[in-house]
Amino acid sequence: MVDLLFYVAAALCVLCALGVVVSANPVQSVLMLLGSFVGISLIYLLAGFQFLAAIQILVYGGAIMVLFLFVVMLLNQGDPAVLASEQGLLSKAQLAGGLAVAGSALALLLAAVVRTEIPRPIFGYLWPEGGLDPLVGMAQAMFGPYVLAFEGASVLLLTTAVGVMTLAKRQRTKPSVKAAPLSSTTEGSP
Amino acid sequence: MNVPSEHLLILAAILFAIGMGGFLLRRNVIVVLMSIELMLNAANIVFLAGARQHASESGHWLPDGPVMVTFVIAVAAVEAAVGLALVIALFRRKQTVSLDQLSPTSD
Repeated sequence: MVDLLFYVAAALCVLCALGVVVSANPVQSVLMLLGSFVGISLIYLLAGFQFLAAIQILVYGGAIMVLFLFVVMLLNQGDPAVLASEQGLLSKAQLAGGLAVAGSALALLLAAVVRTEIPRPIFGYLWPEGGLDPLVGMAQAMFGPYVLAFEGASVLLLTTAVGVMTLAKRQRTKPSVKAAPLSSTTEGSP
Repeated sequence: MNVPSEHLLILAAILFAIGMGGFLLRRNVIVVLMSIELMLNAANIVFLAGARQHASESGHWLPDGPVMVTFVIAVAAVEAAVGLALVIALFRRKQTVSLDQLSPTSD
């Protein structure tokens, strides 16, 4: 029964991932990606990674998807005129080349998986009480052997926050000097 | 769940290939970034399959796989933020998010 649920979640993931790639409307792509993440989170939960399932929903479904959706709406990407200008840009050769590369990558990965002998996991008695990712063990690892990577991640996030603000900030245009007297008069009027 | 690890790995391979196809074939930068997210998620599934398999075979649990997944998620968030900020900056300059028109050799 639980195994069947895994295959349902996997099918949801794959179908939604296909929807991300083939749907013409970016808003649909974002929603499909959300469905894919929900499916992946369900798989984490079934495999015993409860904390990571929560993180997947919170960070991917909550933060990253909203970021994508905001940008799609900010740039007006659902507009039919914008969508029409995107159509037909891909030539037959480009399509064939891209599909060939992606297909050969898939074949390579599948061959590697199928040709490797992996013993079937036995479960039922060795799961830790809080699942396979108990928070205490993860925290001990993160502040023990992985403390440098953890600090690096915090520096990375700080750098990103500053860098994104710099990148996405509206550029101050030069004519603001000319506009200065106009604004001073309007400010002084009340 | 008593699914063999191969099935998790096969799922990861399919998701990775779909993401790669989207990365190569789509022209919209936002969809390209979403395809990268799909590929990162495929990598996460491989990490977790490995952690699960190790726990099953050796009988004791190692936190390395889940810790790596949290780092990958952090990097994915950073990558999405920076990528979308670049998309916004490019859109201000060129009024498009199509990679064909953003390419420096296109005009």
